[in-house]
Amino acid sequence: MTIQPRHPHLLKLVDPPILVGHRCITCERIAFPPDPYGCEKCGSPASNFEKWDLQARGSVQAVATVHRHHRPTPPTPFTVGVIELVEGPVVKAIVEGDGVVVGSSVEGFLAPEEPDDAGNVIVDLRFRVTR
Amino acid sequence: MNASSLLSTRPVFVVGIGLHRYQRRSDETYVSLGLAAVREALSDADVSWADVDAAYTGTALLGMGASRIMLSKLGATGIPMTQVENASASGSSSVAQACLEVASGRSDVVVALGVDKPRGGLGAAPGEAGIANLEAGSVVPFTHFALLASEYMNLHGVSDEQVAKVAVKNHRNGSQNPFAQRQKVRSLEEVLTEPISGSLTRLQCCPVGEGAAAVIIASEEGIERLRIDRSRAMQVVASATKTEGLYAEGVGIDAALTAETGAAAFEEAGLGPTDLDVLEVHDAFAIEELLYAEALGLCQPGEAAARVESGDFDIGGSCAFSPSGGLLAMGHPIGPTGVGQVAEVVRQLRGEAGSRQQPNARVGMAHMVGVGAVCVVHILRKP
Ligand SMILES: [Zn+2]
Repeated sequence: MTIQPRHPHLLKLVDPPILVGHRCITCERIAFPPDPYGCEKCGSPASNFEKWDLQARGSVQAVATVHRHHRPTPPTPFTVGVIELVEGPVVKAIVEGDGVVVGSSVEGFLAPEEPDDAGNVIVDLRFRVTR
Repeated sequence: MNASSLLSTRPVFVVGIGLHRYQRRSDETYVSLGLAAVREALSDADVSWADVDAAYTGTALLGMGASRIMLSKLGATGIPMTQVENASASGSSSVAQACLEVASGRSDVVVALGVDKPRGGLGAAPGEAGIANLEAGSVVPFTHFALLASEYMNLHGVSDEQVAKVAVKNHRNGSQNPFAQRQKVRSLEEVLTEPISGSLTRLQCCPVGEGAAAVIIASEEGIERLRIDRSRAMQVVASATKTEGLYAEGVGIDAALTAETGAAAFEEAGLGPTDLDVLEVHDAFAIEELLYAEALGLCQPGEAAARVESGDFDIGGSCAFSPSGGLLAMGHPIGPTGVGQVAEVVRQLRGEAGSRQQPNARVGMAHMVGVGAVCVVHILRKP
């Protein structure tokens, strides 16, 4: 039995969870998701990047509840938010719970999915409203 | 000579247009779809295939080597043929390449074609770039645009009903277009049923089917030599392509890219937004018409919904938006879409659009965006 994050390169399984982005040493741009190629601001190769921890906290810029989806998971309806993290980068992620509106403050948490037959569990980063 | 002066140094014109109706996926082959559009465009221009110097085929989904297998059935003349892929703007980019080739002086008569058939998936490169992100699997294009709608409606106090009125207008326009995939007038109540994502409903999302569109681009010399009817030749006065720059973090990237590309096209043409009589925009989702109307400078930020409600963007208003029905009603078969927009603008400028004619149309724009992200804008003028 294992516990694995859905996106192992993007996430640290700590409480509260940490998002892992990158910072370009040349131009100081902080970006998420991290990428293995190069900097969109200054063109430096990714060898010039350092991993950069980002708090999974921010505010909702836009929100949409999805009613039709091409896959069985996540089951509909689910709500996606555009979240501006406190350190600047913007992510899109599922926001759980009622009362999420543009301007809501949200925080990340680790949501375990149903275990498979071997008992392995995938955990996914979700957000919820803090106030 | 820089690219922005090329079209004024050696003017280029659209002299022929042809379409195969956009439709749901059928057993018809892409060869049959594409040939129908090219044959109609040749006949419209009253030129023969033997007069064509080169061909560009805009297609995102067909895979390798589609052009010759199709176009050789008009006669294997041995001309250069090239496929052009630029996501949803593939057809627009085939028009851009055809204009560039004629303006450069290499050719006098070039066909730009768009043809596609839907497949199970889009096979899009961004998903295979090896850059993982959090939203993979939960944010598909309609949710991306539902999020844009959320931000816009919140910022400007615009309601679901106001956004839906874009779709009501474009479905009404499409009902007058024999080439449209959707040809039904829809009430506001109908448009507001069947939620898909956020405020977007089924009828506020474009259908992705199959079809074909072709235009023939010619120089003055080509028009002269082939005795093409000058009165039906519409000049391409701007062809601008841009990709997304590094904008401020947030959701407004699509509009920012359109603003930059539109400004480049206006500068090349020596025209401005108030000169436009007809505008075919990338309205794959209803919210986009509002975003791009503002980004292109046709109204102030936050004003577009009121302009739609006032009828200003109707056929007969100050600028007819998507008189073809746009992507929402005419449809978005990918490769053909951008070419079909140019064909519609030409039809409007010629005064041949029948019941969906914008009165006294003299200047028109065709605007597409594609994932990646890319934006392609053409401006045409009645000489
Ligand atoms: Zn950098």
